[in-house]
Amino acid sequence: MTLQTTTGPTVGIGWRPEIAEFVAGLPGLAFTEVIAESLHHPDPELLALRDRGVRVVPHGVKLSLGGAEEVDPARVAHLARGAALVAAPLVSEHVAFVRAGGLEAGHLLPVPRSRAALAALTRNIALTTAELDVPLAVEPIAALFDWPDDEYTEGEFLTELLDRTGALLLLDVANVYANARNRGQDPVKVLESFPLERVAYCHVAGGMEGDGLYHDTHTDPVPSEVLALVGEAEERLSPEGRLGYLLERDGGYPPGHVLAAELDAIADAARLERITRRAA
Amino acid sequence: MPREEPSGLAARQEALVRALVEGAPLPDGFDAHRVGTTARALARKRYGDAARLWPELLAHRDAYVAWAADHPTRGTWQDVWDFARAHRDSLDAPARAALAVREALWRYGDAPRPRRLPTLRLYPRGVVVAAFGRARLLGRR
Repeated sequence: MTLQTTTGPTVGIGWRPEIAEFVAGLPGLAFTEVIAESLHHPDPELLALRDRGVRVVPHGVKLSLGGAEEVDPARVAHLARGAALVAAPLVSEHVAFVRAGGLEAGHLLPVPRSRAALAALTRNIALTTAELDVPLAVEPIAALFDWPDDEYTEGEFLTELLDRTGALLLLDVANVYANARNRGQDPVKVLESFPLERVAYCHVAGGMEGDGLYHDTHTDPVPSEVLALVGEAEERLSPEGRLGYLLERDGGYPPGHVLAAELDAIADAARLERITRRAA
Repeated sequence: MPREEPSGLAARQEALVRALVEGAPLPDGFDAHRVGTTARALARKRYGDAARLWPELLAHRDAYVAWAADHPTRGTWQDVWDFARAHRDSLDAPARAALAVREALWRYGDAPRPRRLPTLRLYPRGVVVAAFGRARLLGRR
């Protein structure tokens, strides 16, 4: 399935209750994302955005597509209901697992880039898309460690996964930066190894240095290296068929003018219109 | 649908999760520093979730992070309650009051279940009266 878009890429921001007022006040906002699991109790302010024509993408974090166990049908059904509720153009989840043996990790964990994990992901994505009326985009995560079982590079693994499943790619530019930096790789080369023709939209987020590693925290400012990689990504992506760049902030919310400046910096890096003021 | 069964993957994933959230031994071949850093980041993130739900825990950050390191999450709602019950005697006054209010309003259990009958709870600085989903702290001066 491909993504139908009516406009070219724009800049968006993830909707969170703490910044609902700021998000609603963005004059140029064309797309946002909501944590899919929070749609058990949809916020009226989010539904108002939907009614205004803002495209809302449910972003799941607990499906555990990369788990060895089959995805929970109740979670899949909830994702499908959430997509219908917000009239979503697509939904997204992660190339990750979050539980095993009945234990919740409370975190997105990397899967081994192995044939066994590829088989588990392929089965779980098939079980999920069978219940969805809209496309599914999957997001490679930022992880501080790799598995000793790895048989593929990240680019090879994703290309094979998307070929097998027909899923789209949610390209998190900050995750590419974080992983490349922590593995001592060139982020642009890693970016180029991904199946970029499958990108549905991109994430951008902040992070910080700690314990000799780069942490993709979503609670810190977006570093200039990530903004530079946004520019590199934009040069390599198709001008159509994707929603654009979405800023993820998950805590430590700064004042609105600081968030607005970050959104402007992302727009400038991608050479897109700023969304913080009305189009001329 | 692929025929290959993800054999061994379930056990491998479970061993990794146990190392991360229960402090179980790390399976061979992983970078101990990096997995340890992930486990600490995870415990800090759980504290952040807990403090959003119970801002009164603010003074117990280090204790919470240490507790979370070998107590796998049962959901934030349950976690903060379990933490507070396990540390009842060492909580500061705001956290104790928050625990008293919680216990007056809700039954302890896996899912939030409000109490139906009016309740009274003593806590070191006073008493909590709860009825019809609202609680009131009556403190001793």
